[in-house]
Amino acid sequence: MKTATTPRGRDAGARSPATAPPPPSGPRKGSGIRPHLPSSPWLFLAPGLLVVTAFGLYPFLSTVTGSFTDARTLAPGRFVGGANYRELIHDAMFWTGLRNSLLYVLGVVPLLVVLPLLLAMLVRRQIPAITFFRAAFYTPVVASVVVVGLIWVWLLDDRGLINALLEGLGFGRVGFLSDPWLLLLSAMAVTVWKGLGYYMIIYLAALAGVPRELHEACAVDGAGAVRRFLTVTVPAVRSTMVLVAALSSVGAFKVFSEVYLMAGPTGGPGGEDTTLVMLVQQVGTGLSGRVGYASALSVVVFVLTLGLMLLVLRAHRTEDR
Amino acid sequence: MSSRTRRRPDRRAGHAHDGRRMPRWQLLLRYLLLLAVLALTIGPFLWQLSTSLKGAGEDLYRYPPSLVPHEVTLGNYSGVARIIPVWDFALNSLKVALANVLTNCAGAALAGYALARMRFRGRRTALVVFLMAMLVPVESIMIAQFVTMRELQLNNTLLGVVLPGCIGAMNVLLMRNAFAGLPYEVEEAAYVDGAHAWQRFLRIALPSVRGTLAVVAIFAFMGAWDDFLWPLIVLSDQSKFTLTIGLNFLHGTFADNQRLVAAGTVIAVLPLIVLFACLQRSFFRGVGEGAVKG
Amino acid sequence: MRMPRRTAAATAALVASALALAACGSPGGSGGPGSASGKVEGQVTFQTWNLKANFKDYFERVIADFEKKYPDAEVKWVDQPAEGYPEKLSADAAGGTLPDVVNVSPDLAYPLAKAGLALDLEKAAGKYRGEYLGGAWQSQRMPGLPGVYAFPWYLNTGPMFYNKELFAKAGLDPDKPPTSYDQLFEDALTMARKSGRRIAMLAGTPSIEDFGRYGVRLMNKRGTEFTFNGPQGVALLRHYKELYAAGALDSQALTAQAESAGRKFQQQSVAMNPGSAHDLENFKKEAPGLYRHIGITDAVNNTGRANMYVQGLMVNARSKVTPAAVAFAHFVTDRKNQMAFAKEVTIFPSTKGSLDDPYFTEEDGTDATRVRVASARSLKTAVNYTPVLLSDQMKTVLRNAVARAVQGKQSPKAALDGAAAECNRLLGTG
Repeated sequence: MKTATTPRGRDAGARSPATAPPPPSGPRKGSGIRPHLPSSPWLFLAPGLLVVTAFGLYPFLSTVTGSFTDARTLAPGRFVGGANYRELIHDAMFWTGLRNSLLYVLGVVPLLVVLPLLLAMLVRRQIPAITFFRAAFYTPVVASVVVVGLIWVWLLDDRGLINALLEGLGFGRVGFLSDPWLLLLSAMAVTVWKGLGYYMIIYLAALAGVPRELHEACAVDGAGAVRRFLTVTVPAVRSTMVLVAALSSVGAFKVFSEVYLMAGPTGGPGGEDTTLVMLVQQVGTGLSGRVGYASALSVVVFVLTLGLMLLVLRAHRTEDR
Repeated sequence: MSSRTRRRPDRRAGHAHDGRRMPRWQLLLRYLLLLAVLALTIGPFLWQLSTSLKGAGEDLYRYPPSLVPHEVTLGNYSGVARIIPVWDFALNSLKVALANVLTNCAGAALAGYALARMRFRGRRTALVVFLMAMLVPVESIMIAQFVTMRELQLNNTLLGVVLPGCIGAMNVLLMRNAFAGLPYEVEEAAYVDGAHAWQRFLRIALPSVRGTLAVVAIFAFMGAWDDFLWPLIVLSDQSKFTLTIGLNFLHGTFADNQRLVAAGTVIAVLPLIVLFACLQRSFFRGVGEGAVKG
Repeated sequence: MRMPRRTAAATAALVASALALAACGSPGGSGGPGSASGKVEGQVTFQTWNLKANFKDYFERVIADFEKKYPDAEVKWVDQPAEGYPEKLSADAAGGTLPDVVNVSPDLAYPLAKAGLALDLEKAAGKYRGEYLGGAWQSQRMPGLPGVYAFPWYLNTGPMFYNKELFAKAGLDPDKPPTSYDQLFEDALTMARKSGRRIAMLAGTPSIEDFGRYGVRLMNKRGTEFTFNGPQGVALLRHYKELYAAGALDSQALTAQAESAGRKFQQQSVAMNPGSAHDLENFKKEAPGLYRHIGITDAVNNTGRANMYVQGLMVNARSKVTPAAVAFAHFVTDRKNQMAFAKEVTIFPSTKGSLDDPYFTEEDGTDATRVRVASARSLKTAVNYTPVLLSDQMKTVLRNAVARAVQGKQSPKAALDGAAAECNRLLGTG
């Protein structure tokens, strides 16, 4: 739907209001048709593009080229072609890492798409002291992941508060931090706990855009709260839900800190809970790190994350029409 | 209906946006839920807080663990200030974080607006560039970034700390999403009145996305404030160290004083909570005002 | 000594091949002979690892003394925090911003030496060799490279701590802790049985040092191959498997680190834990409940030699002020200053004759002195069991193999064979 770029300035003002497009019933999906100078977009984009290219994509190019060498931290390597990638496929730890990262996405994303939305609805109303609650819910987000990890490791320890409570209630001790599966679940719980406030804010901003009229019209028709939620709220924030799904799946796939802090640098018992990014760090870090192999792993992580995000976005598109 | 023209959300207790009163049981349920979530979110931090207030003689390893200190003391906080120049570090962190907020808000808003509201060839490509940049694993490029900084003679400077993250790809996408959600009419009206792109951006679009802008600001501040490894790699002079680096010194080489570490973490978290508490007032107000009037 | 912790938000330090830096050139000895002679002048940057917080006064004194001795020289002191040290060193090495004098342990010094970044002190400062303990000077040799690449600095070793109260509760004699491995394993099983698996004896699985102390030969003579999968190694692992099945190892033993093991011990969940000499002071302050029942004994070994940790000061081979840097590094590690440091915290000087000082030989009845004297004595014959060639990646491989064997997922022999093969492969690619 291309429109000719109309000249700005006084000429544009000569158009009569009658020829202006009728007001739509809501934000129109599709491309913007705002006229502007051909150079304007690039001026607007320049700072952002410059920074992300210079400090994001350009260094990554070196990583990509490095993945075809056997470089180490202090020694540039020779070209070895696809040897790193071949090794990767046969590396048991790679598959373990892939499995754990995928499980992480499956476990975390649904919770992070739904729960923060509910939380946002909970805090929307202006009841007394709501400001305090909003700030409180946001606290896990602002605390650095290091602090959060330490706190939860302490809480879930065999002798921690949670096990003390469980024992007091008559249940046995649960090995949150010693069983590989429970460990992964614990890390997921921490990620969700930490992310609730983060995505709650994003939803709040989106919910503000939901016109009050729609709610009222629906209420007048006699729809209950749940019905209103499903038929009015959810469709209106759909694009935000997709955004949240995309952001959280990228974050979940690349998870490192939470699992590292809970499972330890060992990556859980026998390394069973190592995620892909943890593997990259294990392999490539330190003065004897195998940079070439770690670069190959990074490239694979990048490609898989890209695929994952495209998958999420595609799901949105097919759902739409 | 008169509620449509009301500008501010009704602040009378128990009244929802649309002016109707919430039934008492609903209010009670709401508070119960809020309290439950509160316990869940704040609870874990109480341990750190209590550890930071415990005196030297108290056994931290007692089982079952005790949440309430026997005698509350602020000695650990003064201990932290004694061991490390905590205020200098905090100031450095503040400088870096504020700079990060400004650059992110400005840069992401500009780029997001262009991506959402302007038609031009290469828009799709630009979007893809930002998406790809968001996916790059930060871990693999740190050393390369450091060497770049050194070539720019910016290593060991706070500017070097700020630069790589000064405009985050994710923030650009957030702003794009926000701008895309705005209705067209107001901008069209402005266009009809003769406003060009920059004016439309500044006067119309930007004020309407105040909510997301506040989100970007909070995230940018937080990201810069909590960052550890990048400042560690870039900086060498202790006078320039940020708070996260400084607090790490509390983990002594030969001994770990849990109380000091706990006090340090509380010091690190407090400013962020305060910032959010301040920002969120304008944030929620701006959020309520974002709608287009009749 | 506590093992260095990895940064929580740690990230891999990856250098693209395009960023070739210092690695070109012959490994070791690129400082050139005689470059350490010359006037001692200029600004020397001195980097320590997490020592400023507690020892600021000590180091400032040392620096002031040095500057008084050499008026034309100046020292700039930089201290790095606990976490992220290898990443910081990697970045500095890549960017050419390594300080002149750097605090490193042998495993960090080795890659730097191999890349030609550490000055060969055998050539540049060989005249000082006689001032240090033979073993300490040797510990700074790097396999495959001629020369010595750091001044030996402080040494660390420690006893095995145990909890007398827990011993008594399990029916073990609190004054007769195990002195041999067989005794240790037997007592561990007793502890698990009598406490109904609630109290474990040990908090961790065997690390490479444990293998060494057990008497396993870790590398072949030439240092080209790992041999920890020999019959001794398999036997040790089999014992641990038995302990784990019986509950004599803590449930979180498979993910244990030095800090978490120490925490378990302070919480009184495990009955024994190795430690450093200075840990006694820590227990007094941090875990008074434990301190009341603390027992101290020598770490068990089959070789008659204790394990020691070594720290060193390396000189940057690319330093612009080499004479001053060498002079300063030597100054900090000389007898007087190391002794002064040893009085600040319970660590041990690596200079010859220091351990004969009455401070390390005379007891005054307190536990603290007893530990100090015993540790000093054991240092005379102590060895650094951890092979310098064992990189972090190899340590992970071994740890995972041990975990699998201990859980029974793989036979000890198969697990160790696999680990040795993988470590050798990694060694070959380096």
